[in-house]
Amino acid sequence: MEATTVQSKPQVLRRVFVWQLPVRYYHWVNALCILVLTATGFIIGDPPALLSGKEAYANFWFGTTRFIHFVAAYIFLFNFLFRIYWGFVGNHFASWKNFIPTNKKFFQDMWRVIQVDIFMTKKEEEGAIGHNRLAGFIYFLTFIAFAIQCLTGFGLYAAMSDWWLPGLFTWVPTLFGGDFMLRQIHHWAMWFFILFTVVHVYLVFYHDYVEGRGELSSMAGGWKFIEEKYFNKKK
Amino acid sequence: MLTETSTHRKTYYEELRDKGYTRRDFMKFCTLFAAYMGLQSTGAAQIADALKNTPRVPVIWLHFQECTCCSESFIRSSHPIVADIILDKLSLDYSETLMAAAGHQAEEVRAKTMKDHYGEYILCVEGSVPMGGDGEYCCIGGKSALNILEETAAGAKAIIAWGSCACNGCVQAAKPNPTQATPIHKIVKGKPIVKVPGCPPIGEVMAGTIVHIITFGTLPELDGTGRPKAFYSKRIHDSCYRRPYYDAGLFVETFDDENARRGYCLYKVGCKGPSTYNSCGIMKWNNGVSFPIQSGHGCFGCSEEKFWDNGPIYQRLPNFPGFGIETSADKVGMVALGVTAAGIAAHAVATNLRKHKMVDHLIDEGKQSDRDLKLD
Amino acid sequence: MSQRIVIDPITRIEGHLRIEAEIKDGKVIEAYSAGTMVRLLEEILKGRDPRDAWAFVGRVCGVCTTVHSLASVRSVEDALDIVIPPNAEMVRNIMFAVQNIQDHVIHFYHLHALDWVDVVSALKADPKKTSEIAQSISHWPKSSPGYFSDLQKRLTKFVESGQLGIFANGYWGHPAYKLPAEVNLIGVAHYLEALEWQKEIVKVHTVFGGKNPHPNYLVGGMACSISLDDVSGINAERLAYVQQLLLQAKTFVEQVYIPDLLAIASYYKDWGAIGGGLGNYLAYGDLPMNGYRDPLSYKFPGGAILNKDVSKVLPVDMRNDSEIQEFISRSWYEYAGGDDAGLHPWKGETKIKYTGPKPPYDFLNIEEKYSFLKTPRWKGHAMEVGPLARILVGYASGREDFKEVVDSALKTLDVPIDALFSTLGRTAARGLEAKLMTGWALEFYDQLIANIKNGDTRMANMEKFKPETWPAKAMGVGHTEAPRGALGHWIVIEDKKIANYQLVVPSTWNASPRDKDGNPSAYESALKGTPVADEKMPLEILRTIHSFDPCLACAVH
Ligand code: HEM
Ligand code: HEM
Ligand code: NFV
Ligand code: SF4
Ligand code: SF4
Ligand code: F3S
Ligand SMILES: [Mg+2]
Repeated sequence: MEATTVQSKPQVLRRVFVWQLPVRYYHWVNALCILVLTATGFIIGDPPALLSGKEAYANFWFGTTRFIHFVAAYIFLFNFLFRIYWGFVGNHFASWKNFIPTNKKFFQDMWRVIQVDIFMTKKEEEGAIGHNRLAGFIYFLTFIAFAIQCLTGFGLYAAMSDWWLPGLFTWVPTLFGGDFMLRQIHHWAMWFFILFTVVHVYLVFYHDYVEGRGELSSMAGGWKFIEEKYFNKKK
Repeated sequence: MLTETSTHRKTYYEELRDKGYTRRDFMKFCTLFAAYMGLQSTGAAQIADALKNTPRVPVIWLHFQECTCCSESFIRSSHPIVADIILDKLSLDYSETLMAAAGHQAEEVRAKTMKDHYGEYILCVEGSVPMGGDGEYCCIGGKSALNILEETAAGAKAIIAWGSCACNGCVQAAKPNPTQATPIHKIVKGKPIVKVPGCPPIGEVMAGTIVHIITFGTLPELDGTGRPKAFYSKRIHDSCYRRPYYDAGLFVETFDDENARRGYCLYKVGCKGPSTYNSCGIMKWNNGVSFPIQSGHGCFGCSEEKFWDNGPIYQRLPNFPGFGIETSADKVGMVALGVTAAGIAAHAVATNLRKHKMVDHLIDEGKQSDRDLKLD
Repeated sequence: MSQRIVIDPITRIEGHLRIEAEIKDGKVIEAYSAGTMVRLLEEILKGRDPRDAWAFVGRVCGVCTTVHSLASVRSVEDALDIVIPPNAEMVRNIMFAVQNIQDHVIHFYHLHALDWVDVVSALKADPKKTSEIAQSISHWPKSSPGYFSDLQKRLTKFVESGQLGIFANGYWGHPAYKLPAEVNLIGVAHYLEALEWQKEIVKVHTVFGGKNPHPNYLVGGMACSISLDDVSGINAERLAYVQQLLLQAKTFVEQVYIPDLLAIASYYKDWGAIGGGLGNYLAYGDLPMNGYRDPLSYKFPGGAILNKDVSKVLPVDMRNDSEIQEFISRSWYEYAGGDDAGLHPWKGETKIKYTGPKPPYDFLNIEEKYSFLKTPRWKGHAMEVGPLARILVGYASGREDFKEVVDSALKTLDVPIDALFSTLGRTAARGLEAKLMTGWALEFYDQLIANIKNGDTRMANMEKFKPETWPAKAMGVGHTEAPRGALGHWIVIEDKKIANYQLVVPSTWNASPRDKDGNPSAYESALKGTPVADEKMPLEILRTIHSFDPCLACAVH
């Protein structure tokens, strides 16, 4: 039987290596930490009611929850610091320039992405290879949120630790007007992470679905596929 | 009428000798005191030295916008007891609560101490200063609180800000702070200020702070915000005897429930111990009888900056700003999550409508390849 | 020609009180009482959680600490229709008694005594004679000649140091001081002993409320659970501690306070005819034995007495909007409905408008507005509140316990009942009710024990603690009898928040400026006719003012 349904010639796709191993490694450690920190943080913020006649020595679940939160917090911090470092030495797609708006073009590009992907009033021809501009900017905001969460988290933690590293954060409570405000900000910020994750995961699926470039798997293997004609154009 | 003579001022040591104490008694006192202040054994000699050579330090204690509970707390001190402090340790020249003189005789005493002991006296301030209006929200002897504070601070050797009123404005500075109640450190510049927050502070903390200053002639070591480290470097939560229940996740759910009777942790009924720096859990109140948590009520952070606006007393989380009562960040978050989910659903539907050509194209292309493979 | 004198600050009180008085021929002919500090807590409370109000208003005053918190939780419980468990009622009663007793003792020795006791004269006392006098009036053990002689030595050294501290510049040697040197020495000794004792009795608050000043309260009851089998709760050890402190209080009041009061009063009987003032007395009553909603069970009955007529006690309705009203005609506020209006507290307004002189100033403009206090009136009458009002209302209600203490004091001093309407009467009434309360406190304690024995260990009713159980709109009033008199808090709750909150406080009743018709309140009225031997040392004015035990932080709030 003849192929009749497809008018144009079948696409030739070029494999492009986008996410270096360290970025992928960072991404999944980060994703896991955030899941753990959010789950434990949620419990710390609003522990469930467990009626029990037990004495305290028979139980330590809340302490364990906090312990896990703090362990994940350390991993989260170092992982984050590593990513900042990689932003300077990594490849083109990992560079900090993808995230921080430095010129007018950045904003124009962002606006185009909004028109294409959010309002869907425009059709995208090329598509981004690495981060699209909007995503890059959102990640910039997430990095700020990471910083806030580390500052407030370690600011709180400083009072519970003798180690020098949390000790570096003792100035934070004063800055925010006391531990109370610090905890509030730390708690509010958790909601940013929850909302981000939901939207982010959706958008990853969305891009894969409408563009068909292997977005979903790119964070595993590191490569995406891009149409030959755009490949040539970009070259 | 009896007036002050400015003869040689007696030192503590001379006074103790006059009262019939021996040198041995005196050294014993110094050793005990050194232990109390957490000093090495050589500290005793240092204290002995200090007490032998220091005359009674003049103190002026001012009251502005306050409730006098700090003075009341001060007279609850058990060690040293206040009778001994005011008779033997310092010279409380001006205190509206206790002084015999009234009216212009009282103001004369203040003026005299300010003149005769310029640069030597300790200024204690209880209360905030209203910066609203033209000073009329707090006047004493026809003068505004601001005027009196500035005038009296000028010759002070050091200032002690008693209680949350003087340290952070306390209840009158709670929103909307209609009189613009202002703490002392925002007004007086260029003088050492010791902040002793709490509503009120513990009596022995107050006595301990002032005794430190008159004994050693130096201020106690202060933390980054100006509070004596000795009393404000630990959280209630880290010194709370209910802490094991916190770690065990055993909480009081409502007051006077079974868990409350078992003495479980008060975290879920609003205890602010985890974010409050004070010594209640260790020193306890009124000579060690109890403290709020031991008596079943959570800490509400009375020694923390702006604690009146840090959210309702009985909620773990405050109401989210601008969302009214009983709306915590979590409620706002849940709503935002719901809205996001709805947005995503709408977006997904819209995608399938508006971009169906693109997607169809990809699907068709895939199908075409399938057909081209001719696997069957 | 009259002369205007100013006493500002009035010391040995709580807060910032200023008295301006016209003196003519050695007497006060007109007096003006002004509160010169304001915080506006009634405004700050708006929009807050009603369950938190007790903590805010508790900070109105640290001297009468707890009374505002008590009135506050009661106002919320009234609005939300919450009945607290009997144990909580008893704990609140015990805390009430402790507060009042402690406050009265402090007032007598530390705030009032120096008006009657000449510290300097005590230096001349004969310790042996002092000891004889002390032993003739009381069994109190600290009364040996050696004790008094040691004290005298300490005092002499103190004075000789040249640093007089709190005693500097007092009116020492004033002709109105009449006590023999020995009684003065007893006064000084007990000044110091009372200073030590007061920090003990308050430990009852620490047991139940976690601290003092400012113990914790709770809407619905108290937060301290009874838990006989746990070290954390109110158990046998805690209860025994409370009992011991209450017994100590009884001993101190009976063996120190009352004997001193009567001994000192016997030298100042002329003050039984000075400083009477209004002759109208008001009490709301308190100390329920059968729940707050049953006023007949109150240890302190409520009611009003007009024109010193103790044959009639008139009923008082705090909810009736034509009975209790506040005026601001002479106060630095404004009302939306005009400055001559009288507002019932549920409709009260606290909008500041200062029209006085700009500081620094020498005199207030007494012809116009001159104080931050509002002026409360009951059915248009200026009323005196406080220990004397309570004692008179109890006496006039025919209550045996009141009759007993009053009659015995009058007999000891050999004065008629009219002597009560005076500066001395006010000071004496304070001691008499302290004596009554030391006895009652032990009754409350026994009742608490009996409840627990009967198996009732409830301390809080939390059924309506959660805002979702509240009606859209609710109004309540809570009252108590604070050390300085009748205290009421009125609350309006809307949308689960405080829509209006008004306090009408004992010192507001007593220390307020004139009303719209120019009628003085209690202080101004009592000062009229007070002798002043030396305008430069107005000791007598202090006596009458101090007899009210002023608290200006309360009065203005
Ligand atoms: C995505 C990152 C994080 C999230 C979503 C998160 C979330 C939370 C939440 C919701 C709470 C409860 C706050 C409350 O209601 O009082 C909490 C507590 C806390 N978090 Fe995090 N957190 C994160 C990262 C961190 C980091 C990096 C640290 C650093 C040490 C940290 C340290 C703490 C501490 C010390 C507490 C208080 C625990 C306690 O006092 O028992 N958190 N966190
Ligand atoms: C199934 C789950 C997830 C998948 C498939 C996924 C996939 C991806 C992909 C494809 C990118 C690059 C996209 C672009 O830049 O346009 C990316 C970036 C990122 N994702 Fe995810 N993600 C997942 C879950 C998460 C989670 C749970 C988080 C954390 C909340 C997260 C955080 C991030 C961040 C921060 C970046 C930017 C990384 C960088 O370039 O440094 N992702 N993710
Ligand atoms: N007036 C007054 Fe108070 C009392 N007693 C309160 O209600 O003093 Ni501070
Ligand atoms: S800090 Fe609190 S206790 Fe001290 S004066 Fe202020 S309100 Fe009163
Ligand atoms: S009661 Fe309060 S301070 Fe004590 S452990 Fe629980 S949360 Fe911490
Ligand atoms: S409320 Fe204050 S008294 Fe101590 S336990 Fe908390 S700091
Ligand atoms: Mg009022």
